[in-house]
Amino acid sequence: MLDPADIKVATFHSHYGALMFHKRMGGDSVIRPVPRSLSSSCGSAVFFTSAFNPSLADENTEAVYVKDGDGWREIWRK
Amino acid sequence: MGIRDKGKLCITGAIIGAAAVVLTLLGNPGNMGFCIACFIRDTAGALHLHTAPIVEYARPEIIGIILGAFAISAVRGDFRPRGGSSPVLRFIIGFIVMIGALVFLGCPLRMVLRLGGGDLNALVGLLGFIAGIGIGCIFLNNGFSLGKAGRQSGLEGAAFPSSAVLLFVLFLAFPSLFLFSESGPGSMHAPVAAALGAGLAVGVAAERTRLCMAGGIRDIFLVRDFTLISGFAAIFAASLIGNIAAGSFRIGFADQPISHPMHLWNFLGMLAVGLGSVMLGGCPLRQLILAAEGSSDSAMAVLGMMAGAAAAHNFSLASSAGTGPGINGKIAVVAGIIILLAAAAGVTYRERRKA
Repeated sequence: MLDPADIKVATFHSHYGALMFHKRMGGDSVIRPVPRSLSSSCGSAVFFTSAFNPSLADENTEAVYVKDGDGWREIWRK
Repeated sequence: MGIRDKGKLCITGAIIGAAAVVLTLLGNPGNMGFCIACFIRDTAGALHLHTAPIVEYARPEIIGIILGAFAISAVRGDFRPRGGSSPVLRFIIGFIVMIGALVFLGCPLRMVLRLGGGDLNALVGLLGFIAGIGIGCIFLNNGFSLGKAGRQSGLEGAAFPSSAVLLFVLFLAFPSLFLFSESGPGSMHAPVAAALGAGLAVGVAAERTRLCMAGGIRDIFLVRDFTLISGFAAIFAASLIGNIAAGSFRIGFADQPISHPMHLWNFLGMLAVGLGSVMLGGCPLRQLILAAEGSSDSAMAVLGMMAGAAAAHNFSLASSAGTGPGINGKIAVVAGIIILLAAAAGVTYRERRKA
């Protein structure tokens, strides 16, 4: 279970991108549909709580957001 | 994705299911309050793209869905012109999805509405749809992607919804330009205002909730998420209750409205629709919504569906109600599945080599 106070979400250009990022992140992450407030698309996103290291991103990674109140704040974009 | 999202999806599903029953009572064909494939096919006929006299009518529901989704996406900041993600492949996949749908006699949305009316042939179709989505998910898990979409001009994004506006203006101002069926399913329709209003409501609700018939099952396979499937379930529940209340619920395989009991072809037709929908990133309804939000890739898929509808009737690929597909339709749906599998395998192999 991820700590909701420190949750981050990464979005991707493809489901496979999310799958590979999830594998690189390890156990501290889950794959879920992209939150509606971030996108009208219905792709996969990876939710995680550890610090985001940009070296974990690849060409399929679109952006990373951190929970900010009821919404999300962008902290990284390809 | 939480309880609030599920609640909104359930409300959207209930609106669609109830609107479908009402449209049927107002004149649409049986279990066809909405059918994206059938209505695109009817519109293709109205535009002289095919010559099947029983399926020609420019369905206001389609125009309403596009305009509703376009308007709400513009107001809420979701309108984002984008494209360039394998447009020709998307056209071909859309074409094959339409062939599969017209062999089954309905898109995934009508499949659920048929289930709500008691048509058990749709249950066979649902099994094929699930199988197609399952195969598509295997490719997604192994790297399948049609590529990134890039930003496009506002003009490019607005071209598709603007065309829908133009179509509707011409339909009202110069009806003699269009063909109108005098018999058969194309002659059966709700009043224009009711059909347009229902389409607008569905377009708005489906845009806000991302409702997708294929996405619900795909998310269960891929990420064990049951949010999107709640809309699917709500459409079924609302149409079931509506049909029972209206006295139009009749359970069985035989003599169901605009259907056929050829199980193998119901299964394979919807398998093609399920696999193609996963490759496109959404069912035919979702493609309409995404095209209205400015995706020229999804607009290409819709145009592919329209071309597929024209071919289905010009080359006798579509099933006949009661008797199912002829030899042309059987060959086309098998060839379509082979083409989808080959395209998915080829794209997946290319993506894996890049990774």
